[in-house]
Amino acid sequence: MTVTTRARRDRWISVMVFAALAGIWQILSVVYTAEAQPGEPMIAGWQVLFTKTFLTLSDYWQGGLGVSAVADGAERSYLAALLSILSHSIDTIGRLSLGLALGGAVGLLLGLAVSWSRWTRRLFDWPLQFLRTLPLLAMVPLFQLWFGTYFFGEVLFVAYGIAVIVFAGTVNAVRNVPPIYIDNARSLGASRWTLYRTVILPAIFPAMRSTILLSLGAGWSAVLGAEYLGAQSGLGYIIVYAQQFAYLDRMFLVALLFILYTSISYWAISRLSARLLAWAPPSQRR
Amino acid sequence: MYNPANSRMIELVHVNRVFQRADGQMVKAVDDVSIVIKEGEFVCLVGPSGCGKSTLLQMVAGLIEPSDGDIAVAGKEISGPGRERGMVFQKDSVFPWMRVIDNVEYGLKCRDVPTAERRDIARTYLERVGLAHVEKAWPRELSGGMLKRVAIATVFASGGSVLLLDEPFGALDYVTRHQLQSVLLDLWNEGGSAARRTVLFVTHDVDEALALADRILVFHSGRKIDDLAVTAERPRFTDSLLLPEMVAIKHTLLAHLGLEKRAAPPKMAAGERTGS
Amino acid sequence: MTSAEQFKILSGAPAVRLSRLKIVLAALDPLRVAGMVLFVVVWQVLTLGLPAIILPTPLGVVRRLLSDFLSAPALSYYGVSEANLYGNLIYTTENVAIAVTIGSAIGILAGLLSARFGLIRAIIDPVMMTAGTVPILVAAPFLLIWFGVGRASAVCLVIFYVAVILYVFAQRAATNLDPVYEESARTLGATPRRMVRDILIPATVPEILGGLRIALAGAWGLEAVAELLGSQSGIGKVLEVLAGATDPQGIMATLLMLGLTAIIVDALAAFAVARTTKWNATAL
Repeated sequence: MTVTTRARRDRWISVMVFAALAGIWQILSVVYTAEAQPGEPMIAGWQVLFTKTFLTLSDYWQGGLGVSAVADGAERSYLAALLSILSHSIDTIGRLSLGLALGGAVGLLLGLAVSWSRWTRRLFDWPLQFLRTLPLLAMVPLFQLWFGTYFFGEVLFVAYGIAVIVFAGTVNAVRNVPPIYIDNARSLGASRWTLYRTVILPAIFPAMRSTILLSLGAGWSAVLGAEYLGAQSGLGYIIVYAQQFAYLDRMFLVALLFILYTSISYWAISRLSARLLAWAPPSQRR
Repeated sequence: MYNPANSRMIELVHVNRVFQRADGQMVKAVDDVSIVIKEGEFVCLVGPSGCGKSTLLQMVAGLIEPSDGDIAVAGKEISGPGRERGMVFQKDSVFPWMRVIDNVEYGLKCRDVPTAERRDIARTYLERVGLAHVEKAWPRELSGGMLKRVAIATVFASGGSVLLLDEPFGALDYVTRHQLQSVLLDLWNEGGSAARRTVLFVTHDVDEALALADRILVFHSGRKIDDLAVTAERPRFTDSLLLPEMVAIKHTLLAHLGLEKRAAPPKMAAGERTGS
Repeated sequence: MTSAEQFKILSGAPAVRLSRLKIVLAALDPLRVAGMVLFVVVWQVLTLGLPAIILPTPLGVVRRLLSDFLSAPALSYYGVSEANLYGNLIYTTENVAIAVTIGSAIGILAGLLSARFGLIRAIIDPVMMTAGTVPILVAAPFLLIWFGVGRASAVCLVIFYVAVILYVFAQRAATNLDPVYEESARTLGATPRRMVRDILIPATVPEILGGLRIALAGAWGLEAVAELLGSQSGIGKVLEVLAGATDPQGIMATLLMLGLTAIIVDALAAFAVARTTKWNATAL
C-alpha cells in the first residue's frame, strides 16, 4: 500500500470510528431508558439531544435582550437556549483568553528577565521548580478564597497556571538556544538588548511552540476546574449544576460543545504556530 | 567436508526486485540477477550507490522478498531470515540494553544453547576479536570500531555457514577499517581453508574488495555487469595490491564505476554503458 | 589511545567518578539555596502587609502542617473520615498508585500494539488524539453520576489521563525504534516472542518511563480535583472542607504536603528510572 492510499484509508477509519461511537450512543439511548426526572432521559438519542435537550438550556439564560428568563416564568425557546449557550460560552472562552494572555505575557517577560544572566537563573530555579510541582488544579480553593468566584478570580487562576508553565518554558527555551547564534551575533557587535530582541526572541519560538500548546491544554483544564468549583456562569458551571440533578443529557450536550471548542482551538493554534515556524530547521520544529 | 551440493552454496536464479516509489512509480532495484556462489568463497559485491547491491544482500538474508525469481542457500529455498545466514549491518546493531557478552551470545540463546556452553563460545569469540576485557561493558561505553568487533563476534558465535556483510566498515575511519578487515579475515580463515564460511560482502570501496575477495561481482542499475576472479594469494599485504593482475582488476573496476575510461571491454557487456 | 584506555574512561574510572561528585555538589549551589530563602523572605514580608486571613506566614504554614499531620480533630466535624492529614494523604496516594498502574498498563499495551499494527493505530489514534486535546476533567461529572461519590470515579478519571499519556509515549518509543535492531535479531534467529521480550520491551523502557514520570506529576492534581468534586476522603476532600471553613493556612499546609509528596515520589521515580536504564547513553 502506498503512502497516499494508506493515509486516505486512515482518514476513512477515523470518520468511521467517530460514526461508530455516535451509533453506540444512539443504541444505548434506546436500550437504557432510565430517566433522571420524568421527561429527562439519562441517555438521550441524537434526535432528542438537538431538540428537547437543547431547549432545556434556555433554563440557564438569565434574562435580558428582550428574552425573559425561564426562572421568571417564561416559556423555553430556541432563542433563549441559543442566547444562553452564547453567553456562557463567551464567559468561558473569555476567562480562558484573558488568562492565557495575562499569564502568557507575565510568564514570558519574567522568563526572559530571569534568563538575563546565569546568576538570576540559578536564583529563581528552586522556587520555580517548587511552584511547578504544586498541582495547579488543587489550588482552586485557595484562589477562590483570595479572589472570589466571579470573573476576576477565575482569570487570575488561569493566568497563574499559564504563567508558571510559560515561565518555565521560556527559561528552558532560552537556555537551549544554540550558542552559535549568540556567539555569531555577539561577534557582529550586538548589544545585550539587541541580542534579546533580534536573536533570542525569534530563536526560542520553535521550542516555545510545545509550551504554547501545553498552556492551551492547561488553560482549558484550569478554566473548567474553576467553573466546576464555584463559578456562577460558564459551560463548566452548567455541567456541574446539571449534574446535581443528574441531567445527564444536558451535561452531555454542553460537554460536546466544550470538546468542540477545545479541539478547534488546539487545531487552530497548532496550524498557526506551524505556519509561523515554517522557517525553522526540521530538527527544531516540534 | 566437501559436499557436491555446496558447489552451489548460494544460488540466485533470475531474481528481480521492484519497489513502488512514494509517487507511485515503479523502480527496478534488482534486475534479472543470477549468481552461483561456491561454499567457502569470499565474494564482494561492488558498485556505485543505488546499484541494488544492498537490496540483493537483504534478499539473500531473507529480510525482503524478491518480486520474482528464486534464492536458494545450501540447496534449500529460503523464506525469511535464518541463523544459517548471519548478517553484519552498516549501522550499529549491537543491542544497547544488553551487555557485550549478552549480545555476543544472543544468537546462541535463540537456539536454546545451555548457559554455560554459550558463555564459553561467546567468550572465545570475544577473545578472538580482542575484546575479552570489555565482556561486562555496556555498548554505550564502546567506540564504533569496538562495536563492529562485537557485531562480528556475535555473528561468528551464532554459527551459520553463510556470512552477509552490508558495507560494515563504511562508517569507520581508515585505520579502524583496516584493523577490522584483518579481524574479519582472521576469523574467516580459522580452522583452515576447508572450514571457511561463505561470505557475501557489499562495499563501494574498490581497495577493500581487492584486499578481501576471491571473487568480485560488479553491479550497476540493478544488473550484474561483471564477474571478476581475484587470484592473488592470501594473506594479502599492501604489496599484493600492486601485483599486475590486481592492478588490472582495479582498472576494470574503476572503469565500471565511471572513474576511468575503459581499457578492455568487460566480460558481460550486454549493451550497458558506464557513462564516462 | 588504546581501546582499553578508552573503555576505562567511559566506564567511570576514579577520575570520572570524582567529577560526578562535583555535579551533585553543584546542585546544592549556594545561589539556588539563596533563591529559595529569598522566596520565603519575600513571602514573610508580604504577610506583614496583609491580614492573616488572606496570607498566613510561612512558619505558620509549616507549623500547621506538622501539627495536623498526625492529628487534626477539627476535620472530623466536617465529615472527613480520617481526622488527620497523613490518613488522607494515604487515601489519595493509594488512588494515584492504582490509577497509574492500571492506566499505564492500558496505555502501554495500546501504544505498543498501535505501533505494530497500522489498523489498530488508525482506529485508536483519532480517539486518543482528541482525548489528548480535551481536558480530561470534562469527564469528571459524568463519572460521578456513574460511580457515585467514592474512590471509583476519581481513580477512573486518572486512569483515562494516564492511559492517554502512556499511549502517546509507548507508541512513539516503538515507532522510533531503529529497524536495524529488529533485523539483526531476526537474522540471529529470534522468534516473535523473543523479539517482544528481548528487543521491543527493553528498547522502549526508557522513553516509556519518561512518560510515566510526566503522567505521575499530573496525576496528583487531577486526583485532588476529582476528590474535591465528590469524595468522602482524601486531600481533595480536606481542601474542600478547609476552603469552606475559610482556612487559608490549612489549605496552604495541605498543598505544601501534596507538593512535597509529589516531589519525593518524582525523585524516587527518577532514581528507579536511572537504575533500570543505566545502559542508556542519554540518561547520564
